[in-house]
Amino acid sequence: MKSHLLRKDMIKELCLSVSAKWELYLPIEDLAGEIQFTRLNKRDKILIDRIRLDYKYLTIPPKVIVFPQLESLFEFRGTKIIETLKPRHKKILFGIHPCDAKGILFMNNFFKRDFKDIYYLNRALDTLLIVVGCNNPLDTCFCSSVKTGPFLTYSGDKEAADFDLQLTDLGKQYLVEIGSKRGEEFISIYAKFFTKASRGDVILARAIKHNAEKSININIDIKEVIKRFCEDDIPQHIYDRIAQRCIYCGGCLYVCPTCSCFNIFDEKIDKYGKRYRNWDACVFEGYTRQASGYNPRKEKGIRAARRYEHKLKYDYLTMGKSGCVGCGRCLVSCPVNIGMSQVIQEVLSA
Amino acid sequence: MRNEYIPRPAIIKSIKIETPDTKTYRVIFKDKIFARHFNYKPGQFIQVSILGIGECPISIASSPTQGRFLEFTVRAAGRLTRLIHQLNAGDRIYIRGPYGNPFPLNRAKNKDLYFIAGGIGLPPLRGVIVSALKKRANFGKIRILYGAKTPDELCFRDELDSWNRAPDTEVLLTVDKPDKNWKGNVGVVTTLWNKTNMNNSSGIAFVCGPPIMFKFVVDKLLASGFKDKNIYLTLERYMKCGIGKCGHCNIGEKFVCTDGPVFDYHSIKELPVKERVIF
Ligand SMILES: Cc1cc2nc3c(=O)[nH]c(=O)nc-3n(C[C@H](O)[C@H](O)[C@H](O)COP(=O)(O)OP(=O)(O)OC[C@H]3O[C@@H](n4cnc5c(N)ncnc54)[C@H](O)[C@@H]3O)c2cc1C
Ligand code: SF4
Ligand code: SF4
Ligand code: FES
Repeated sequence: MKSHLLRKDMIKELCLSVSAKWELYLPIEDLAGEIQFTRLNKRDKILIDRIRLDYKYLTIPPKVIVFPQLESLFEFRGTKIIETLKPRHKKILFGIHPCDAKGILFMNNFFKRDFKDIYYLNRALDTLLIVVGCNNPLDTCFCSSVKTGPFLTYSGDKEAADFDLQLTDLGKQYLVEIGSKRGEEFISIYAKFFTKASRGDVILARAIKHNAEKSININIDIKEVIKRFCEDDIPQHIYDRIAQRCIYCGGCLYVCPTCSCFNIFDEKIDKYGKRYRNWDACVFEGYTRQASGYNPRKEKGIRAARRYEHKLKYDYLTMGKSGCVGCGRCLVSCPVNIGMSQVIQEVLSA
Repeated sequence: MRNEYIPRPAIIKSIKIETPDTKTYRVIFKDKIFARHFNYKPGQFIQVSILGIGECPISIASSPTQGRFLEFTVRAAGRLTRLIHQLNAGDRIYIRGPYGNPFPLNRAKNKDLYFIAGGIGLPPLRGVIVSALKKRANFGKIRILYGAKTPDELCFRDELDSWNRAPDTEVLLTVDKPDKNWKGNVGVVTTLWNKTNMNNSSGIAFVCGPPIMFKFVVDKLLASGFKDKNIYLTLERYMKCGIGKCGHCNIGEKFVCTDGPVFDYHSIKELPVKERVIF
C-alpha cells in the first residue's frame, strides 16, 4: 500500500481544518501539565498550541472518549422518561497509541456481542483511529509480547483494520500508512497536507519500528502464560500475596484500556432525575455482594484472582485473545507497585 | 439497534400478599404495541425499577399461557424492594427485558418433571409449573417439593392445592419450624425424599432456592439416578445491566444474565470452583 508523508509543521493547520468538520480529539496538555485526549473545538487557537503528539504516556487511556467514566442513560421528570442517547456521529482520535487503539477494538467487540450496547457503540463505531506509533516505548511497556505495539501492522484487509492511519515519527515529518478505507478517504479529503513518501522514507520507518521493538525490556511468552491460566495452574498463594499488598483502590482497572465494567444508579431531586452508569471495578468487595448479604467473592485473594484471570483466561476463552494489551498502566498507577507484567512473571516462575 | 437500557412503564393491576415479606404483582405494560412484542418464557427475568431509586432483577413468575399480563413476586430485601412493597394497585412501575435463558420445558416432553424449591425459589419455577400443567398430557408425572422456614413463608398457598389436584401431580411441602396448625413434614427440603419415590434415571429436575440448598438437593438427585444434564438450577448473582455488559454477574467466562440464569448441573460443574456456585 502507498504511504504518505505529513510534515510536522502542517499538523496545526491540518487539525484546524479537520476540527471544522469532525469531532476531533488529540493529546492536549492542560494547564497543570497533564496530557489527556481532549476535544479540539473548531478553530480553537489556544489548545492548538498544546497538542502533544510526541507524548510518552497518558494516565487516562483514550477509552474515556468512547466509554466515559460517568454517563447519563436517560432522564426523567415525574413519570416521563426523556431519552438522552446521542446519535451515531463521526469522531477522530488523532494520536492514539497502538495499544490503546487495540484496547478500543477489543471493547468494540465486547460491546457488540449478544445484546448491543447502543450508548457505547454510537460513540465508538464511527471513530477514526489515527495511530501514532511509539519510537521510544517506556520501561513498563510490554506491547510487543501481546502484539499490540509499539507499531501496528497492516492487517491486509481494509475492512478489518487495526488502524485507519498510522503515523511513524521520522523527525521533521511523519510517515503515514493507510490501514482502512476510511483512512484512505481521509487522506483524499485532506490531500493538500500530504505528499508521497519515498522508498527511503519507508526504509527509515522500518528501521525505527525495528529499533523500537528491540528496545522493549519486558518480554513475555504470552502463549505460555495463557496456557498456564487456562489450565488453572495458578497457585492461590500468588493471588493471596497480591491480596496482602493490594489496597483495593480499583485504580488499575480504571486506567486499563480494556476494562469495561460499570455500575448503574439513579439520582433524583424532587421530580427530576437521571439514571447513570459509571465505571466499576471487580476488585471491590461490594461488586458481587447480593442483597441477601451473600458474597461469592468475599475474600481479597479470590477477587485478585478474578482481576488477572479475566484478562488472561476468560477473555481468551470468549474473545480468542488476551484482554491485556500490555500498556503497563496498571503497574505505573498502582500505589503499591502491583502490575500485570509482574504478576505474569511471578506466575511463570512459580 | 434497540436501546436496552430504557425501561417501559407498566401499571400494577393487582397485588397479592404471599408471606409477611413477599408480594406478587400483576402488571400490564402501558404501551400496547410493546406489550404485544414482549415475548417471554418461564425462567427468564426482568429488570424492575422505580425511577430515582434504581432497578433490580426479578424473575417472571407467570406463564405466557395465562394472558397478556406479567406476574412477579418480590421479597422486601433492601431499599428498592421495600419501596416496591409500598406501591398500590394502579401505580406505575418500570420494566425492561425479558432477559436470560428460560427453563427448557421443550426438552422435557414425555419426561417426568421434578420441581424443587426453597423459600423465594418457588416464584421463578411457578411459570414453568403453570405451563406444564396447561399441557399436562405432554409430560409424565409431576412432583413439586417445596420447603420454607415457617408455614407463613410458603408462597402461592392457594395454588399449591390446585396443583396437587392435577392428574398424577403431587405437591410435597415441608417447613423448618412448624406452627400449631402445621400437619405436614418438618425438616429441610431433602427430607421429602422419604415421602415419595424420587428414583428416576430419565427425570428432569428444576431447582431454585438459596445457594446453601443446591448442594444437598443436587447430591440427592444424583443419588436418585438423575443425569447431571437433566438437573437445571437457576443461579443468582448481583446484577446491574442484565444484558452481559456491566460484568457484575460473571462467573468464570460466563455471564449469569445472558448465559443463565438457568444452567444445567453439567455446565455448573465446569465453572471455577472458587466462584462458589455450589458449596
Ligand atoms: C436472576 C435473578 C432473579 C431474581 N428473582 C427474584 C424474585 O423473583 N423475587 C425476589 O424477591 N428477588 C429476586 N432476585 C433478588 C433480587 O434481585 C434482590 O433481592 C434485589 O436486588 C434487592 O434489591 P434492593 O435494592 O431492594 O436491595 P439492596 O438495597 O440492594 O440490598 C439489600 C440488602 O443488602 C444490604 N446491603 C446493600 N448494600 C450494602 C452494602 N454496601 N453494605 C452492606 N450491606 C448492604 C442492605 O442492607 C439490605 O439488607 C433475583 C435476583 C436475580 C439475579
Ligand atoms: S492489565 Fe495493565 S498492562 Fe494490561 S492492558 Fe490493562 S492496564 Fe494495561
Ligand atoms: S491499583 Fe494496585 S492497590 Fe489499587 S486495586 Fe489495583 S493492584 Fe490493588
Ligand atoms: S448483569 Fe450486567 S453483565 Fe450480567
